[in-house]
Amino acid sequence: MEMDKGRVEVEDVVIRFGTRDSAVTALDRTNLVLEPGTFTALIGPSGCGKSTLMNAIAGFVQPAEGRITLDGAQIRGPSPDVGVIFQQYALFPWFTALGNIRFGLKQFGFSKREEIDRARAALDEVGLGPHAEKYPQQLSGGMKQRVAIARTFATGAKVLLMDEPFGALDAQTRIVMHELLLNVWRKHRATVLFVTHDVDEALLLADDVRVMSQAPGRLIRHYAMTQPRPRALSRSGSDLLEIREDILGLLRPTTEPLPEPAH
Amino acid sequence: MAVTEQHDKITRPKPPVARFAQLSAAGTAVGLPMVSFLFILALWSVVGASGVVSEAIFPAPWSVWSATVEMWQNGTLQKDLGVSLGRAGVGFAIGATLGVTMGLLTGRVPLVRTLLNPFLNLLRPIPAIALVPVAIVWFGIGEGSKYFVVSYTVFLTVWFNTHHGMQYVPETYLRAARSLGASRLREFLTVVLPAAAPHIFAGIRLGVALAFLSLVAAELSGASSGLGFRLQEARQYIRTDRMFSLLIILGILGAVADLVVHRIGRKLVHWEQG
Repeated sequence: MEMDKGRVEVEDVVIRFGTRDSAVTALDRTNLVLEPGTFTALIGPSGCGKSTLMNAIAGFVQPAEGRITLDGAQIRGPSPDVGVIFQQYALFPWFTALGNIRFGLKQFGFSKREEIDRARAALDEVGLGPHAEKYPQQLSGGMKQRVAIARTFATGAKVLLMDEPFGALDAQTRIVMHELLLNVWRKHRATVLFVTHDVDEALLLADDVRVMSQAPGRLIRHYAMTQPRPRALSRSGSDLLEIREDILGLLRPTTEPLPEPAH
Repeated sequence: MAVTEQHDKITRPKPPVARFAQLSAAGTAVGLPMVSFLFILALWSVVGASGVVSEAIFPAPWSVWSATVEMWQNGTLQKDLGVSLGRAGVGFAIGATLGVTMGLLTGRVPLVRTLLNPFLNLLRPIPAIALVPVAIVWFGIGEGSKYFVVSYTVFLTVWFNTHHGMQYVPETYLRAARSLGASRLREFLTVVLPAAAPHIFAGIRLGVALAFLSLVAAELSGASSGLGFRLQEARQYIRTDRMFSLLIILGILGAVADLVVHRIGRKLVHWEQG
C-alpha cells in the first residue's frame, strides 16, 4: 500500500477575492496537514471559507499568500491526483453512468475494452452495476453521488475532496452513503477532506474533525477521533456527545449577538 | 409463475375508463386543432360564397385550390419550390456553419470575443430586407444575392445564440472535467459543446425560420424565379388566388422545416427533455 502518498500540506495560506482595494479575505493564514489515507472533516458556519479552502486544494483558486503542496509538489491547478465530489452533482447529463466514469479514464489511454471493464468494476464497487446504461437524470440523488464517487476513485485520485456531498440527500440515504463512503475509502486509502456543516456527519465519519471560525475563516479547533467505526451518537458513555456539544458551542455565533428587543 | 404474471400483464385489457382517458387525451391533442382549422375553413367558405367580398381581394378556398392546381399543372409550382428550397437550404447551411463556428470562437477565445462582439451588437438590429439592395448590387439578381441575404441572416442569429450558449456552460462541469484529467481539447469536445448544444439548437431553429423570411424578402425584389418572385408576379396580374396559395405553401414549408429541426434537436440533445 502506498501509504506515503496523498499528503496535503496547507502552509500559511491566505485567499482573497476581488480586486486590491475591495478585496475580501476569505481565508486567513490557514495551516492544515492531511496525512496520507486519513479522513478529515472540515466543519464551520456557512460562508466561513471551508469551500474556499477545498477549492484551493483542488487547484480551482490560487492562494494570494502561502502554498499548498501534494506530496511536496505545489498544487498549481486541477489534476486527477486530487478528485472532487461536488455538492451539486457534477455528472455530465449527456453521458450514461458508465460514460461518466469512462470520461475520467480517457487520460490513461486504455484500450476501449479495458476502459469499459474498469468503469464497470468501479460502478460495481458502489453497487450500481445494473444502472450502468442509465443517464444521470434517471438516477436518484444518492445514486448520482455514488457514480461521482466511483468516477473519482476510478482515476486513482490520491486525495478526495468532498464539498457537502450528501447535503441534498434525505436522512436514510445519508446513512447508506456514509457506510458506502467509508467502505470505498478503506479500500482505496485515499486522503479524504470532507466539508460539511453537519456536526453529526463529521463525528460519525472522520479521523480528524477541524472546526473553522466565521469569515475570514481560520481553523480554530482540532479533534482527533479515536472511536472505532461504526460510530453511533446515541451510544451511552460515548464521548461523542460531549464533543458534539463542544463543537455546537463553537459554531454558535458570538461576535454578532441577536438584536435586543425594542425597549 | 413469473412467466404467467408477465403474460397476464400483456393480455389483460385496460379498464374502459383508462382507455377512454387515453383516447380523449389523444383526441384533444389532434382533434381540437383540427376543429379550429375546419371552423376557419368553413367561415372562409361562407364569406367566399356570400359574395360580400370581391374574389379579387379575398378569394374563396376553392379558387385558391384551383390556382394551386393550375400552377402545379403548368409546372411553375414545382420549379419555384425547388428553386426556393435550394436557396433557403444553401443559404441556411452556409450561415449556420459560419454562425456556429463564430459563436464557438467568440464564446471561447477572449481576444476574438473582444474584437468581434461589437459587430455582433451593431449588425443584429439591421433587418434582412434592408440588405437586399446591397446584395443585388454585389451579386446581381441571380442565386448569389439570395445565398448572401439568407446566409447572412442565419449567420447572425446562430452566432448570437451559440455565443450565449457558451457563456452558460456551468462552471462545475468545467471544474469536474479538469479534475478528471481532461485535456483542453477533450473538455471542449465532450463537455463544452454538449453543454452549449441546447442553446446552439435554439439558434439553429430560429435560423430556419429566418431563412424563409429573408429568402422571400430577397425574392420579392430582384429575382426571376422562386416562390417570392411568383408572389410578386401574381401581384402584377392581380392574381390574389395565387398569392393566397403561395402564402399558404410558405406557411406549410416553414412549419415542416421547424418540426424537422425540432425533432433532430430533441434526438441530439436527448438529455435536456424529460
